[in-house]
Amino acid sequence: MKPVIVVHGGAWAVPDELSKASVDGVKAAARAGFAVLEKGASALDAVEAAVRALEDNPVFDAGHGAVQNTAGEVELDAIIMDGSTLASGAVSSVRNIANPITLARAVMEQTEHAMLTDRGANLFAEKMGLPTVTTEDLVTETERREWERQKSYAVGVKELFNKQWVHDTVGAVALDSHGNVACATSTGGIRHKMVGRVGDSPIIGQGVTEAVKKALKYMGERVQGGGGAIAVCPSGQWAANFTTKRMAWACVDGEALHYGLNPKEEFQEAP
Amino acid sequence: MLPVIVVHGGAGHIPKERAQLSCAGVREAARGGYGILRAGGSAMDAVVEAVTMLENNPAYSAGRGSVLNVKGEVEMDAIVMDGRTLDSGAVSAVRRVANPVQLARLVMEKTKHLCLTAEGASQFARAMGIPEVPEESFITDYARMRWKKNLAPDANPVECEMGKMGTVGAVAVDTEGNVACATSTGGMTNKMEGRVGDTPCIGCGGYADNKVGAVSSTGHGEAIMKVTLSRLILFHMEQGRSAEEASDLGLAYMKKRVQGLGGVVTVDPKGAWAARFSSLQMAWVAVQDEQLHYGLHAGEHFTESAQEQS
Repeated sequence: MKPVIVVHGGAWAVPDELSKASVDGVKAAARAGFAVLEKGASALDAVEAAVRALEDNPVFDAGHGAVQNTAGEVELDAIIMDGSTLASGAVSSVRNIANPITLARAVMEQTEHAMLTDRGANLFAEKMGLPTVTTEDLVTETERREWERQKSYAVGVKELFNKQWVHDTVGAVALDSHGNVACATSTGGIRHKMVGRVGDSPIIGQGVTEAVKKALKYMGERVQGGGGAIAVCPSGQWAANFTTKRMAWACVDGEALHYGLNPKEEFQEAP
Repeated sequence: MLPVIVVHGGAGHIPKERAQLSCAGVREAARGGYGILRAGGSAMDAVVEAVTMLENNPAYSAGRGSVLNVKGEVEMDAIVMDGRTLDSGAVSAVRRVANPVQLARLVMEKTKHLCLTAEGASQFARAMGIPEVPEESFITDYARMRWKKNLAPDANPVECEMGKMGTVGAVAVDTEGNVACATSTGGMTNKMEGRVGDTPCIGCGGYADNKVGAVSSTGHGEAIMKVTLSRLILFHMEQGRSAEEASDLGLAYMKKRVQGLGGVVTVDPKGAWAARFSSLQMAWVAVQDEQLHYGLHAGEHFTESAQEQS
């Protein structure tokens, strides 16, 4: 089985000044994940490694680089899922953890639960001996300035949501040499939801690109929502599509590293 | 065929001595919800009313009567979803709020978010002027007894999981053809602090779409999450299956793929409904065309007039 990994750095209007860093970041994460796959390790290990790299990179809104909530704190969400067993682990609203994806994996492997939130999630992190970081460590100078600027606007209850919060999640999907798939997603901003899976029925007989495009189109038409998705299927087919202005993404499939940022872009270089 | 409401009081293994209580409460809640529909009220109002009544009833693990987490405290989850707009509101691991389903509805109506958790949910409740209720008022002797029993090192975890009291939920279609769902729970007995199950996760604990139908789930939360049960059932309905067939397919898949048991109440926008479960029992009631349908054990389907017996 030829392994594949696809990663994304968030579907949003990435400003020009962050473009290069975003594309470099997803390429590096994809390479890191692929190195894990090449050694014969699992899709689960690969997506965790890729997302950790993105969490550690302050240009993305996950782990380091996360946006602040109205109280100036950083609340992080993450999920990881193992396609072979459907086991899954997630954390929501966890604070001061550098790598929420690793904590999510621990929920999956070390507890009987699928999701822990807030204080309970932090207590578990402590129990697992996961290192904590200060809010200052996680928040960039730019983000601090933006947050200060936003604070001065009158905020009603309906405006709890900051319009500038269009930073998005980071994520990865992978297929390993044993034919197993896995996914991982991590965010500091928009609350991660468990998206109902695009079931077997709608995608039988269709390529994975078609499926992703259809799903994004549906979301746009039905609820006027823009976004992006990456997907991989057990045959090795992969896709990266988005309906926002930009999405930094990269894929390594053993033959090449494919990547892009703007709609319809797909560049290639050596893996 | 319209309107219709279907209510459940949890899928699991209900001990004989509690069966009466379980059935009576669901019946009362279904009547309450149907009264709203009959008067031309919305599906959303009806499901929130039914679930509120069950939260206030200490016989169920939702609101008062919730099971306790490992520390002996109450943390509750709830969700509502509006089939017309696909808008939804949920709260997870919320404490000391008498009616989490109503707080979930406020999340949907008063914020741009779909889910608030724990401390943030409490802050929001305060901002909405919802009074904080002392922890003690949620805790029943029964819940405390089960918590103590499950602290014992040789306690059977599967037995704990099936919850002898359950998550509660409702689905409805109103006279205008709008569908809605609502689900509320105290979670799993002796769960870890902060554990969030299927209930507040959209597509898992519930889903509602005017074009397809609505579902509310109960059972082994982690298994329901792995297969996104509510959304899965609606996918089958999108492929042309009936509410009953789709529900059975979803439950069978969950049993086969992840060895999880549970139950659902399901409606389609035309008013076809189903109450199906793979667990031993599920107390359920459906009201449609002034007829009340109900059951508890597998295969049961009794009917009587929806009019109150005088």
